[in-house]
Amino acid sequence: MVAVTAGERGVRYDIRGLAEPDAVAPKIAKIDGDTAGFDAADLSPRQINLELRRLVYGEGIREVTIDNPGAKHSIAVGILTCCRIRINGSLGYFGCGLVDGPEIHITGRVGWSVAENMMSGVVVIDKNAGSLTGAAIRGGDLVIRGHVGARTGIDQKGGTIIVGGNAGATTGFMMQRGRQIICGDAGGGLGDSMYDGSIYVAGKVASLGVDCVEAEMTPADDELIDRKFRIYGMDRPDTFRKFTCGRKLWNYDNLEPSERKLVL
Amino acid sequence: MSPQNGASNPNVIGESPIFTPRVINDIHAKAELGRYRMRGFSMFKPIPHWDQLMFMPGTLTRFVIEGYREKCETKTVLGARFAKRPLELDIPIYVTGMSFGALSLEAKMALAKGASMAGTATCSGEGGMIPPERDLSTKWYYQVIQSRYGFNPHHLMLADAVEFFIGQGCKVGLGGHLMGQKVTEQVAEMRSLPAGIDQRSPARHPDWLGPDDLSLKIQEIREATDYQVPIQLKLGAARVYDDVRMAAKCGPDIIYLDGAEGSTGAGPHIATEETGIPLMAAIPEARRALEDVGLADEIDLVVAGGIRNGGDVAKCLALGAKAVAMGHSMLMALNCNKEIPGVTDYEGTIGVKAGSCYHCHTGRCPVGVATQDPELRKRLVVDEAAERVYNFLHTLTLEVQMLARACGKTNIHSLEPEDLCALTTEAAAMAKVPLAGTTYVPGVTEERALSEIKSLLAKHVANEGGRDV
Repeated sequence: MVAVTAGERGVRYDIRGLAEPDAVAPKIAKIDGDTAGFDAADLSPRQINLELRRLVYGEGIREVTIDNPGAKHSIAVGILTCCRIRINGSLGYFGCGLVDGPEIHITGRVGWSVAENMMSGVVVIDKNAGSLTGAAIRGGDLVIRGHVGARTGIDQKGGTIIVGGNAGATTGFMMQRGRQIICGDAGGGLGDSMYDGSIYVAGKVASLGVDCVEAEMTPADDELIDRKFRIYGMDRPDTFRKFTCGRKLWNYDNLEPSERKLVL
Repeated sequence: MSPQNGASNPNVIGESPIFTPRVINDIHAKAELGRYRMRGFSMFKPIPHWDQLMFMPGTLTRFVIEGYREKCETKTVLGARFAKRPLELDIPIYVTGMSFGALSLEAKMALAKGASMAGTATCSGEGGMIPPERDLSTKWYYQVIQSRYGFNPHHLMLADAVEFFIGQGCKVGLGGHLMGQKVTEQVAEMRSLPAGIDQRSPARHPDWLGPDDLSLKIQEIREATDYQVPIQLKLGAARVYDDVRMAAKCGPDIIYLDGAEGSTGAGPHIATEETGIPLMAAIPEARRALEDVGLADEIDLVVAGGIRNGGDVAKCLALGAKAVAMGHSMLMALNCNKEIPGVTDYEGTIGVKAGSCYHCHTGRCPVGVATQDPELRKRLVVDEAAERVYNFLHTLTLEVQMLARACGKTNIHSLEPEDLCALTTEAAAMAKVPLAGTTYVPGVTEERALSEIKSLLAKHVANEGGRDV
């Protein structure tokens, strides 16, 4: 149990010690015109976010650089405006979640659930990402130049996820809309129970999940992949296979007897 | 001479209480369908319920409070732990999360307006925010649910409280259901789904799996909302003691427990009948868990599931809840299961009488509440329905006050387990209050007797040891 001081309301306790109700922005950023930067080495997640918000919302800064983020969790979340954020280092869980509009570049790695529920904008990660990458994203581009863990783009509702390396098991689980472009191999259960959307894989696919089927690549698919690779300056593998929803599970009360075992 | 009934017919041996005509019919239906049966509504089988508890008001041992004259406070504050803006409600009851999709636009609007008139809150439910509901709600919960259908961080910023939906009492361990008939173009677009599909929501959250990740997810939402609003975790009541201990560890401001009696707009019949524990059993376990982790004074407890009247609400408060959330009873205030002469024809359109309808899942709700059909929706007039919601909420509060005053309380939150007794041993064991007319609390009494015997035995052994035998 960690004591969390809460001003006039007296001492309050939190078992994990994550709550920081009384933190204030440290105001340490060096501001130069509409750009700014600060060192996050000695700051808590709350202080980093308060400083970032102060710069973006309060000072009208359009480009912020954060050094030494130290793989802290919940950094740069809930940013709902257009701006550029460069993070020199790695993030922990839930980095850049719940954002709408910013362009974020992370030079290191990220933990679980990066950019979850992103509405629009761009998040580029130079190295690897953990599991649940881009969970439930609704728009924007999420680019991971390295490998990603399991269940990438779970519940994805829009946008594009690009993976330079391999993707783990159950990639695109229950995906609803949007696109995933995977340059390396995909783990078992690809596209399991997906409702809609497209997954492009250049490498090997260990196995397909329930109701995920291979579809024909069209010129429009190739054009989209070309365009995305041009934007992010990535090497495009020569050929991709496309996977979509088989649509057999859309209405489960009218399955044919032979299809019923799909849902077991 | 012909026999008048089966009992006097020598050829009839009897009938099975296990394979009843209803059970046999269920087997026939499944053999035809080849799948589990879906339905709306609450639990159909009998379980220990609030009817089995009674209040023991003041007589000579307790001083009673004058009804209609002396004040009995009903104000309820939730989530003052870390939130800069705790949720302040005028009454201890609010309208729980029910999705736009399961409910019509008119139903959502009427609930919002009625709740605001009563000075209390509503909740978005699963399908995302609909602006008219937010406009009409003075206090509004935004739900972070497994599916994240329509979840929008801009809407998150408009919330007065955030609820993590982890499970619901009616079908603990399952995600939501919305049958294709109700997944209209509009509902589908809000949820980013193809129209007309049978939607089965995920049962797990997409971005966290266990309590350690949930702690960080809560941190993320707190960071995104700048610690302004309370964070509530909604759990289906199952292994309550351990679940609440874990939930408390994750750092929320409020824990919401949903008993097995809770309703659903659509769920597999087998799950609604066979999952969860009664709310009466859950509340004492939750209180014990919060006390054991030392956070009973910091984390507020909200409860729900099968609450019908002010007596049920008062009993929840007495057992240790801070507030009660209500869903299905609020739909009944809107007109659910009410035959309206000249307008509805329950038997003709649904196949059952008004009062026995559980067909929310079909989208053919005759009173325009649980439907997306434009013609049926016209049967629910928002302003009139809102008035009924307000009347019902107001009446519930009067009933709670009446019982609280009779028990000698000037604040409804002063109701306590001491004010209750049980009519059955089952209820006494679950609610941990004495069986009426006795001091017997099953389990607790035996535990006390055992520890007394142990301490006497220890003394005896110590004395015998002193005599060096």
